[in-house]
Amino acid sequence: MLKSKSLIHRTLIIFVFLFSANCNAMEKEYMLKAGFLYNFARFSQWHSLPQKDNFFTLCSPDKHFIELANIVLKERIVKGLPLKNKHIALNDISNVSCDMLFITVNTIANWENLKFFPYDNIMVIGETEGFIKNGGHIRFFLSSGKIRFEIAPKKLKEVGITMSSKVLRLARVVDR
Amino acid sequence: MKISQRFLWPLTFISPLLMAEQFDYENLDLDALMGMDVQVTSAMKRTQSAFDTASSIYVLSKEQITNSGAMSVPEALKMVPGLIVRQLDNNQWAISSRGVASRFSSKLLVMIDGQSLYTPKFAAVYWETLNVPLYDIERIEVIRGQGGLLWGSNANNGVINIITKNSIDTRDTLATATTGNQINVDTNFRYGNDIGNKGSYRIYGHAKHANASKKGARLKPNDTTKQYSFGIRADYTPNDELSGLFQGDVTHSKLGQNYRGVVDATNENIAFSDDLKRIDSRMMARLEHRISGNANQMLQVSWLKQNGSQAYIKEHFESIDIDYQMNFIYQSLQFDWGLNYRYNTISFAQSVFLDSDKDLDDLQQYGGLIQAQYNFTPDTLDFIIGTKLDHNDLTGWENQPSARLVYKPIENHLVWSAISRSVRIPTLIEFNDNFKLNGTKVLDVLGTSTGLVAIDEYRIATFLNGNDKVKSENYISHELGYRFSDNDWSMDFSAYNTHGKNVAVINLNTHFEQFLPALALFRSGEIPQAAQALTTTQINLDLISVGKTTTKGFDVVLSWQPMDTLSAELGYSYTDFKYSLPYDTRPVVGFDSTNRQLFAKANYTLFNGHSLFSTLRVENSNAYNTDNYAALDLTWNWQINQQWSTALSGKNLLASSHIEYGNTNETYTIPNYIDESFTFTIMTTF
Repeated sequence: MLKSKSLIHRTLIIFVFLFSANCNAMEKEYMLKAGFLYNFARFSQWHSLPQKDNFFTLCSPDKHFIELANIVLKERIVKGLPLKNKHIALNDISNVSCDMLFITVNTIANWENLKFFPYDNIMVIGETEGFIKNGGHIRFFLSSGKIRFEIAPKKLKEVGITMSSKVLRLARVVDR
Repeated sequence: MKISQRFLWPLTFISPLLMAEQFDYENLDLDALMGMDVQVTSAMKRTQSAFDTASSIYVLSKEQITNSGAMSVPEALKMVPGLIVRQLDNNQWAISSRGVASRFSSKLLVMIDGQSLYTPKFAAVYWETLNVPLYDIERIEVIRGQGGLLWGSNANNGVINIITKNSIDTRDTLATATTGNQINVDTNFRYGNDIGNKGSYRIYGHAKHANASKKGARLKPNDTTKQYSFGIRADYTPNDELSGLFQGDVTHSKLGQNYRGVVDATNENIAFSDDLKRIDSRMMARLEHRISGNANQMLQVSWLKQNGSQAYIKEHFESIDIDYQMNFIYQSLQFDWGLNYRYNTISFAQSVFLDSDKDLDDLQQYGGLIQAQYNFTPDTLDFIIGTKLDHNDLTGWENQPSARLVYKPIENHLVWSAISRSVRIPTLIEFNDNFKLNGTKVLDVLGTSTGLVAIDEYRIATFLNGNDKVKSENYISHELGYRFSDNDWSMDFSAYNTHGKNVAVINLNTHFEQFLPALALFRSGEIPQAAQALTTTQINLDLISVGKTTTKGFDVVLSWQPMDTLSAELGYSYTDFKYSLPYDTRPVVGFDSTNRQLFAKANYTLFNGHSLFSTLRVENSNAYNTDNYAALDLTWNWQINQQWSTALSGKNLLASSHIEYGNTNETYTIPNYIDESFTFTIMTTF
């Protein structure tokens, strides 16, 4: 009996994974996250917003995410500047002007290999467990299928960014 | 890269079709994003996009509920076009759609976060003791008609699912206090906070003291309210794939009411004023597992306990539900399946006007559901087929299949059609119980006067007998719908035709032969003996499943948002309800009738922090033995600052004092006149 239960369970799991190739769900999740990132930008204060080029730049090493962000965040304005989504290589970040950096689950290994991230004025957002402990400022998580986020406002302040109370009210605040 | 077009509909925020799940990336409002599900499919059979749903759905948003000044869930439901919401008095309600609403038979499935509140004793819900803090409601999804068959049993006329907020979104302190000409005090308190880094909770309390109505139909009104509630919800999310939820609520109510019943040898209905004391408790735990981005499973265990006590009726009802659901998407196929089990225990103390034939205190129900949605042409044509198969202790196995088609010929336009079969399992009143009715006069039985008033006017004991020959009612429904959505307006139209058979009706056969001995005594001049013989006779009216009904009509809702500060809705609903009955029978619930409802709603932001919310309902119906009426609810909201807000509401304006429900033969409650009322609310959050 136990064996047959186990077989059913395994068959079920294999069946589900085989049938999970559709990418719609991931598209929707990352489109929503792009929307959240836009709001983080709107409701934060950069103490000295770099004006190297005349853009507000959202960077990510994940090309797929940048493609989605280009659709969702097309022709958006942040802090009076046009929003630009930029695909970057993490080890090249010193040569790129980024105001926000989103590290997806697919690119977290590259982030963890960086060891040291010395840049001020860049809001760093991730989505993996322990991301804030590893140097990030904001981490997305899912609760009952909805996107929620935790924020470390103290760490943000250390890099010259203040998050508004509107966003903090919705967040789980860690490391005050 | 090709992005699925299903996310790219240009959408407005005002439409009740679109508030639920569509991703409007034109307007990246933070609050709206917080309400979006990442999943394309959901374990709760919830609609992913109301716009794409092949049923007549309306989504009442939390903003509307908050701004409307509603003080209870039934009051909030007055804002749903096409829903019949009628007050019997200040506490009791008759609510339904696409049919006839009744206090004890609505054929409507009502759920809080998927937990059914249906009581098998009656086909109805105790709206007066349903406590859900309105400020903690995420949205209310209303499906008119048979579109929600998979949600549960007895959803013949529709489904109302109240979805509450995740406690992670209520981690603050909230207090409200309301007073008015009808409400002495209605006060709420809620506190929410984190549980470590993985969970959150909220606790809440509610107290309400309200006055009686000003004018009664037969007796001085007694519909006072004393109600106290306490509840909790906790959510735990150990990781992105798993989340758990627990919630519980207990509500103590003391509700005054006027009612009538046959309690002595006169066999005649006597009117009473009395207090109904109730304790309603519920708990629910749910575990949701995201197997992958396109697959979910969910296990939910719910417990419901209702104790009611008043003169002549003492009721105890308890149920346990276990539901498992799973769904996934593979390429063009979306597949849902689930299993359910319900255990009910019901007991009614023997009453002078209600007793049970059989020992049917425990009822079990179990079954499953299966539904497949196939996308024939990407983003254009979908076909949905499914069924719910249930076994119950009264009528055995019941099958409720449905087939639906969704067609989007061009962007922003959608046509849907559906054919479905639903069943309504007999209630225990119909299957098991005998109810003592107002006695039948001898004059009415004989059809001619005996010449003696005392004999003519004597009421023979009359019983309405439920019996185990009563079958499940069967309904076949054909539906057709069309939706359109543009930048600043949208339209939702649906038409339906539903045929019911095996509908329970009353067999009027009085078995005249039983009166012949008394008549013979009367004719021979033995009047005292004739009178004595009459006291030993009784009329037993049996419920029989031979009725047929036809319900047809349509609902249309136009939504318009010409500017950010103004949104409006205009709706019209038409329902034609007809019985086809064999000779010597009469209906139990409702009668041939036509119901028309004109509906208008507007929310206007006057200036910063000040808004006006209005709802106008024009009810034109011959289904409830009442006059037609038009009622306006108007609320002025003032957000003073981030912490404080106030609201001033006027309800039932224009309608003056009116009766909303006059079908007193269907309920033992005696209605009161519904009056204008005014409330003032102050609320703080910090």
